[in-house]
Amino acid sequence: MRLSFVGFAWRNVWRRRLRTALTLCGIGMGIGAFVALVGFSRSFEHAWLEMYENAGTDLAVVQKTFLNTSVDQSIAPVLQRIPQIAIAAPMIINMMAVTPEVNTLVYGWQANTFEFSALNILQGRRFRDGQQEVMLGELLAGSLNKKVGDTIDLQGGSFTVVGIFRSGSALEAGAIIMPLDQMQSLSGMSGKVTAFHIQLKPAPSGVSPDQWRQQAEDAVASALPGLRAVPAAERAANNQLVILAHAAAWGTSLIALLVAALGIANTMAMSVFERTKEIGVLRAMGWSRRRVMTLILIEAAALGVAGGVVGVALGWGALHILAMLPQTASIVSSTLPLRTLLDGLVMAILVGVAAGSIPAWRGAQLSPVEALRHE
Amino acid sequence: MSDQTTTPLSEFLLEARDLKKSYDNGAIEALRGVSLGIAAGDFLAITGPSGSGKSTLLHLLGGLDLATEGTVLFRGQPVGKSQNGVAAIDIDTYRARWAGFIFQSFHLLPALNALENVQVPMLGTGSHRRDREERARALLVELGLENRLSQYPNQLSAGERQRVAIARSLVNNPAVLLADEPTGNLDSVNSAKILELLAQIQERHGTTLIMVTHDLNIAATAHRHVAMRDGRICN
Repeated sequence: MRLSFVGFAWRNVWRRRLRTALTLCGIGMGIGAFVALVGFSRSFEHAWLEMYENAGTDLAVVQKTFLNTSVDQSIAPVLQRIPQIAIAAPMIINMMAVTPEVNTLVYGWQANTFEFSALNILQGRRFRDGQQEVMLGELLAGSLNKKVGDTIDLQGGSFTVVGIFRSGSALEAGAIIMPLDQMQSLSGMSGKVTAFHIQLKPAPSGVSPDQWRQQAEDAVASALPGLRAVPAAERAANNQLVILAHAAAWGTSLIALLVAALGIANTMAMSVFERTKEIGVLRAMGWSRRRVMTLILIEAAALGVAGGVVGVALGWGALHILAMLPQTASIVSSTLPLRTLLDGLVMAILVGVAAGSIPAWRGAQLSPVEALRHE
Repeated sequence: MSDQTTTPLSEFLLEARDLKKSYDNGAIEALRGVSLGIAAGDFLAITGPSGSGKSTLLHLLGGLDLATEGTVLFRGQPVGKSQNGVAAIDIDTYRARWAGFIFQSFHLLPALNALENVQVPMLGTGSHRRDREERARALLVELGLENRLSQYPNQLSAGERQRVAIARSLVNNPAVLLADEPTGNLDSVNSAKILELLAQIQERHGTTLIMVTHDLNIAATAHRHVAMRDGRICN
């Protein structure tokens, strides 16, 4: 029965159980939306990075400023002459509605690209350049119910499924890969590619990998004005789809968090109003304005923390469900990154404290005599 | 601040000097110049009809409010507002360390049990949690509530609630105990017990006791009696 300051604050919060529970639901929904949406967009970014890393891509050569880039395929020999570059593989990436229900990423690769090294062909074989052939990730093959030898209609053309593959990257496991020339033809990008994926030669002794990569980036910028070579991590983060996903996730989350903040502000304002007389008693006992304000802020922060825990659990559950749905399984990992979890909890505390600050200030301004007279 | 000194301005423990208190920009005058000296260990009763200003005077003496004009001096130091270059005691510190309040309606916190209620004034004073609990327990035992420590206010009788409130007022060892109609919500039996208790505390702890009451019989138990009317002392 020892009373602590924080224990006292928590006791006050828990007095109105129903109201507190409803407020926690509101905060939980807001933080849950934040965790699920931001977690989703970060999973998406992580999947891109994983794809580059698994394939051994060190750099991507893209246009300097455009996010949705288009690069002449004819620069391939220029890239190959740069001393740091071992392989420069042209590629196209796009999204396609394979059926009205299933949208998928489609990659255009050359048959001899190093990027196949990250794939494990489960059935069939690799496609041949110049042929109307495709390979399907196992997730997509499963959801479309396609096997090797079946055909698939893409943009009015009939393509034969020649291989089913497994990939560590969710972005490939649910994707279509087809010959680069076929992809150029289908998407009207004759002679153009989205990017060149670069594998660097090993750094010579005395040069660190970072220095070696920087030299390659400088060489590309100097040989090809208007283009730049970006590290795989940056390419993953600045991918147009990733940027859109981040923007949508943060925008939606902020609205949800605003609603949660209003919930806390309302609860705390009601709580301060109802406890006006008690605040007067505390002031009469010698509690300073600052201590009263701290108490109310701790109560608001406690609501935030508890709501944050509920929200993280809800968000984690939502990510699990998204990771199981065929439409999203290919790009969502059920693993909740620690950073997202911490962001969610910190966000919850900040929302709690911010929302509680005005009621706390108002509570602290009460004169003891006036507060004690309050009915 | 450099010209401020700490030379005591009064030989009393607590002194009111020409206290005036008005509300609504002077439209209502609750106190119209009250001067009063209270020595250490004194037991003073303040009586008067409703609206006479007795509670307002108690609030100013206890640092619950500041006077519109005039000064309250505690051990020769002004409370809340510095005066004649003498630094003031912070009003929150004064209430926390030197003044203890007992209210007619007890004002216990409903979310806390008896033992926890008594610890509230000690929260944030830098005392250890264990010391807080021991001090609160000792006071409640002294006031005969050893079997009611874990009861919440709504589980206590009115007399028990007032005893918990008295324990709470004493927990920081105040020099002055200010009681505003402490028996106003009690039956005659419990009133007598509480008054006896307050007298015992006043003697045992040497605490200065200032009690506001409208009951002249209760006032008669005090060492000194001040009657008020229309915001002034009238005896």
